Amino acid sequence: MTRGLHIAHLAASVTGARAGLLPVPYYRYPLLPRGREPALGDESVEGLAAHVTRFGDRPAATGTSGGMLLGILDEIGLSGAGGGHFPVARKWRSALRSGGGGILVANGAESEPASAKDRALLTAVPHLVLDGLACAAEVLGSTEAVLWLHEDAHDARRAVALAIAERRAQGLAELPVRQELAPARYLSGESSAILRVLAGGPALPAFTRRPAAVDGYRGGPAVVHNVETLARIGLLARTGVRGHRSTALVTVTSPGGRTVLELSDTATLGDAVRDGGWLGADPQAVLVGGYGGSWLGWQAARGVRLRDSDLRKAGAGLGAGVVLPLGDGECGIRRTAGLAAFLADAGARQCGPCTFGLPALAERLEALADGSIRRGDVARLGELTRLVSGRGGCHHPDGAVRMVTSALHTFAADVNRHAAGRPCAAAAAMAEEVG
Amino acid sequence: MGWLSRGDAQPAPTRLRLDPVACDGVGMCAHLAPALIGLDPWGFPLVPSGSLGGHDRSAARRAVAGCPRRALFLHD
Repeated sequence: MTRGLHIAHLAASVTGARAGLLPVPYYRYPLLPRGREPALGDESVEGLAAHVTRFGDRPAATGTSGGMLLGILDEIGLSGAGGGHFPVARKWRSALRSGGGGILVANGAESEPASAKDRALLTAVPHLVLDGLACAAEVLGSTEAVLWLHEDAHDARRAVALAIAERRAQGLAELPVRQELAPARYLSGESSAILRVLAGGPALPAFTRRPAAVDGYRGGPAVVHNVETLARIGLLARTGVRGHRSTALVTVTSPGGRTVLELSDTATLGDAVRDGGWLGADPQAVLVGGYGGSWLGWQAARGVRLRDSDLRKAGAGLGAGVVLPLGDGECGIRRTAGLAAFLADAGARQCGPCTFGLPALAERLEALADGSIRRGDVARLGELTRLVSGRGGCHHPDGAVRMVTSALHTFAADVNRHAAGRPCAAAAAMAEEVG
Repeated sequence: MGWLSRGDAQPAPTRLRLDPVACDGVGMCAHLAPALIGLDPWGFPLVPSGSLGGHDRSAARRAVAGCPRRALFLHD
């Protein structure tokens, strides 16, 4: 095992027996059983003393080294790990050009149902996230720091509260962090919704004419980072460019459950699926990024590296790191209809495309899945995706459209069969399971 | 003419943008600028994404001024 500074370096166990099969060492995060809260001394949670032993003290990020950290972010090309992959350095420069200061938010409200990476980080290595937050606050000159969590994320809340208390007791010189809780809904983790709540509004996405980093909160800069992004910043502040090793943090769903893996970004989707516990026959396709991500056929997907740029070339994107395989005996149309219904239901219903477009899409996909769709409505599916795309107040409808469009392409042969009134046997079987 | 040319030097807003959250689908914009703005099947405006020529610009200004929800705006 290479003792580089990976996010998971110590907190996670390396399964040595299989490590030799992989191109690089990989790590499996310990996921706490549902409902069990971490306590101090819990070996799955890295306390402050263990954290400092492993990584050393957090380096100061102010002054010239602040510029240095910005330079490192530029050179690495670090992008946001919440799904959008917006360049971190660009966000910081926007905020600094607007005078700096303002609010800094660590977004740990992981709404993506198939993702568990943020929860894994917050419960396993909360101090690394808080280090990143402290570094970012120093460079940006932030005056407020918030850790944003879903109200029902009990284990993450507890782990973070313990970590914050430890840092306070140690008297670490950093901007105090407060926890704020989001209603346990899909869109309450959307960055504009967070800022809206903090300003006293509802937990719904907002439309803004300028980037939040310019004046997103009470007239001042607002910078929102996913907690994985912050953990990476906490590492980069120590390693610099030379010590940096690119990894991808993914959540793989297999019949055995969800597994959070940190793999080298030279590993492929095929590696992720196998190491995520997928056994037996190859899947027929894989949904990459999240529910609002992209379906890729297995043959096209298996060799693609876990880098956002490589995934984009293949027609997908790393998004929130979700890797959701579809078994050979399952129906992609049926699965897509289910996902589309979920996304339509999760919408904020603040704008036309979300209120009317997504339910219309979901309804026709449902009809396609059970083979009852009318002829004209098959062509209408494509029209609907084009009508909705790019027209929402936030990017939620865009994600839904991306997923549906990729499904119509990836499962084209199935679409034709279903449209002709001959849905596959798998669709009927899956409908019975659900019903 | 000095003050006039100074006015001309100011960069004119050239794109029409919509705040979809503020928009209620009243449809006034499509009524005021029918050549520029269409409506989708649910009555919400389809706003052109490209930059606007001189003629379209005046139509866009009418739509912006007429929107009861103030959901339309011009942008560089």
